[in-house]
Formats: sequence, C-alpha cells, structure tokens
Amino acid sequence: CPNENCQMSLQELFDRVIMLSRYVYKLSTDMFIEIDKQYAHDHEFIAKAINDCPTSSLATPEDKEQAQQVPPEVLLNLILSLVHSWNDPLFQLITEVDGIHEAPDALLSRAREIETQNKRLLEGIEKILGQAYPEAKRNAIYSVWSQLPSLQGVDEESRDLALYNKIRCLRRDSHKVDNYLKLLRCRIIHNNNC
Amino acid sequence: MPSALAFILLFLNIGLLNGQSPPGKPEIHKCRSPDKETFTCWWNPGADGGLPTNYSLTYSKEGEKDTHECPDYKTSGPNSCFFSKQYTSIWKIYTITVNATNEMGSSASDPLYVDVTYIVEPEPPRNLTLEVRQLKDKKPYLWVKWSPPTITDVKTGWFTMEYEIRLKSEEADEWETHFTGQQTHFKVFDLYPGQKYFVQTRCKPDHGYWSRWGQENSIEIPSDFTLKDTTVWII
Repeated sequence: CPNENCQMSLQELFDRVIMLSRYVYKLSTDMFIEIDKQYAHDHEFIAKAINDCPTSSLATPEDKEQAQQVPPEVLLNLILSLVHSWNDPLFQLITEVDGIHEAPDALLSRAREIETQNKRLLEGIEKILGQAYPEAKRNAIYSVWSQLPSLQGVDEESRDLALYNKIRCLRRDSHKVDNYLKLLRCRIIHNNNC
Repeated sequence: MPSALAFILLFLNIGLLNGQSPPGKPEIHKCRSPDKETFTCWWNPGADGGLPTNYSLTYSKEGEKDTHECPDYKTSGPNSCFFSKQYTSIWKIYTITVNATNEMGSSASDPLYVDVTYIVEPEPPRNLTLEVRQLKDKKPYLWVKWSPPTITDVKTGWFTMEYEIRLKSEEADEWETHFTGQQTHFKVFDLYPGQKYFVQTRCKPDHGYWSRWGQENSIEIPSDFTLKDTTVWII
C-alpha cells in the first residue's frame, strides 16, 4: 500500500480511468470504421442514418468553455450518466448484431468488450467521485433509452440504418467521456497546468 | 449524313468556345480543425464553363433543420470556408455542400459529413531547441526540446498531444524517427562526432492526425570532445 489507509491517489485513479476511457474510445472507433467501410460512399444511406442518439436527451457541455464552467462534481456525475446510459443500448446492440446472419465477429466482440470495460469505467468514476467529492450526492441522471423498440422483425434497411447510427453515437459519446475526463484530470490534479 | 454530323460537331464546338455550359461539379477536398475549436473546409472549384462562376458553401447541423451559408469565405483563403468558435460545435455532424452557379446553370458537390472531432490536425510543434550535452563518461549526446503548438490547448487537457522527432546527419539519406509520447524533450545518444545533424518534430493529438513536420533545426556535434574531457579531467 502506498499510504496508510491503502487508498489509491486521485492522480492514479484518474490515470487508470483515462486508460479505460481511451481504450473504449479506440474500440468504438474500430467498430465505426468497420461499419463505415460499407456505407462511406452511400450519401443517401448516411443522410438517412444520422439520427438522435440514445443519449440525446442528456444535456452535456458542447465545447471547452462550457465544460470548464461546469463544477467538477457535476461533470463527473454527467460522465457517469453518459456511460451508464449506454448499458441498455449496448445490450440491445449486441443482441441485434448477434442475430444478424452475416454479422462480423469483430463487431460483436468489440461491442462485448465495451460492455465489460464500461462497467469498470463506471466503478472508477464512482471511486473518484467518492474520494474527491464525498459530499456530492450521486445525482447522476440515468437517461432512458427512448427508442428501445427491438429492431428484430424490422426490414433489413431500417435495421442497418439504426445500427450505423448507434455505433456512430457510441463513438461520439466515448470520445466525450474521454475528453471530459482529461479536462477534469488537468483541472483537479494539475490546476489547469498540464 | 456526314455533313449533318460535321454541323453538329461544329455547333457543339461553338457552344464550348462561347463557354456556354453550366459549371462543373465542385468537390470538397478537405476539412481540418487545428484546435478542436474552429475549422475550415476547402473545395476544388471544378470547370467554370468559361463564365464567371459563383461558389457558395451551405451547411446544416445535426438535429437542426435550417440550412446556413458559410459565415466566412475570407479567413482561410480562396475556395474555403472558415468556421470560427461561434460557428463550431464539436460532437455534432455538419452536412456540407458547395454550390457553383453561373449564367447557364448550377451544380452542387456531393455532401460531406463532418464531425469536427475527427478532422483534428494540429500545427507543428514550435521552439525546437538543440543542445549538445555530455554524459558523466564525457560521451556527447544531443538534447532536443520543443513546445506544443500555440493554438492547441494542452494545459487544460482539451488536447493530449504526442510527438515524434526525426533526425538525419548531413551524410545520411534517411531520417531516423523516434516516438516520444507526451514528452516534449528527447535525448539522442548514437551520434557521429564532427557531423551536422538536422532535426524536426511533429505532433498528434490523442484522437487526430499528425501535423506537418515543423521547422528544421540543425546542430554540429563537436569532434574534440575527448580533448575537452582530458582538460576537464586534469582540472
């Protein structure tokens, strides 16, 4: 143990959590590249596919200034909400992809890996919250996936459109999480002098 | 028949000579954000059909129905559109189209879908400094130091930057490249005394593209190090 009460330092916690968020971002990017290969030249398909994300109802900072104005404990709770909100959509995605006859294995295994790593990510962020802001209530909003109807039985095109959009959203949200965490690390640990 | 064909060909030719054709299809060839806070898109105009042709860029943002026109055609040079902070939302897809119009008609580019997060390409690092230093055993090594590009905000964590340096002696044909991670300094040991070395650096954000190689800097590794050593040793 590095110190008496056997607690990991906040810096170490952040470093570990960011390693995870970076990994999840990489996985989701690989997933997106994989699916985008099929449609990149089909402008019509992409135009139709771009739609609301499972987490659209969650108001998150839109740029650097906004992110910096949010108190750290509030931003941490937002990150929790963001990661948590993917539980159901990810589960659904895995079930759907599994049902696709010609489903690429890589897509499925990456989605499963993200599901696992997101759980660890949640634990890590909760630990940071508990250690740095024990007084901050866990008031994370767990947004409900509003488009939960199953895509099974739906025609093939609608299913592909929804899948493309979901993976695009997953990549975006994992980028947000990674970016917010890095901002917070510099703010909390290094006093904005990274 | 042949005369009719000749007539048609002649007619077509005159039409082309008069430049009486609508503009060719423009093509958006690149969008780039140097700082994840602003971005620019450039297009290739395509054939103008010999007539004065106007170009306009229009865009719509994910989740919004309105179409807007480019806010700034000047800042980034000809055939470009610059989106300042005010007009840049990261984490939102922009659907961008360029329209070309002349007297004879108009044509539009294919739409481009841009997410600012994925078009980040920073400026190269700056303040590259080179210094010859000595190890305890008096062997010379090269100490290389640089700073992140000015406009990318590394301090707040908005950017996490990684670097590469490359060096080449004046007699070598190939660059020797080293990845330095987030470190903004590097030591090079295997050097030939008496030779001049050229050094360059470049950088890449955690999720983005490599910058161009930065300005070249050079330094000569003195060949009289051993001599100096003995002097130091005697003292």
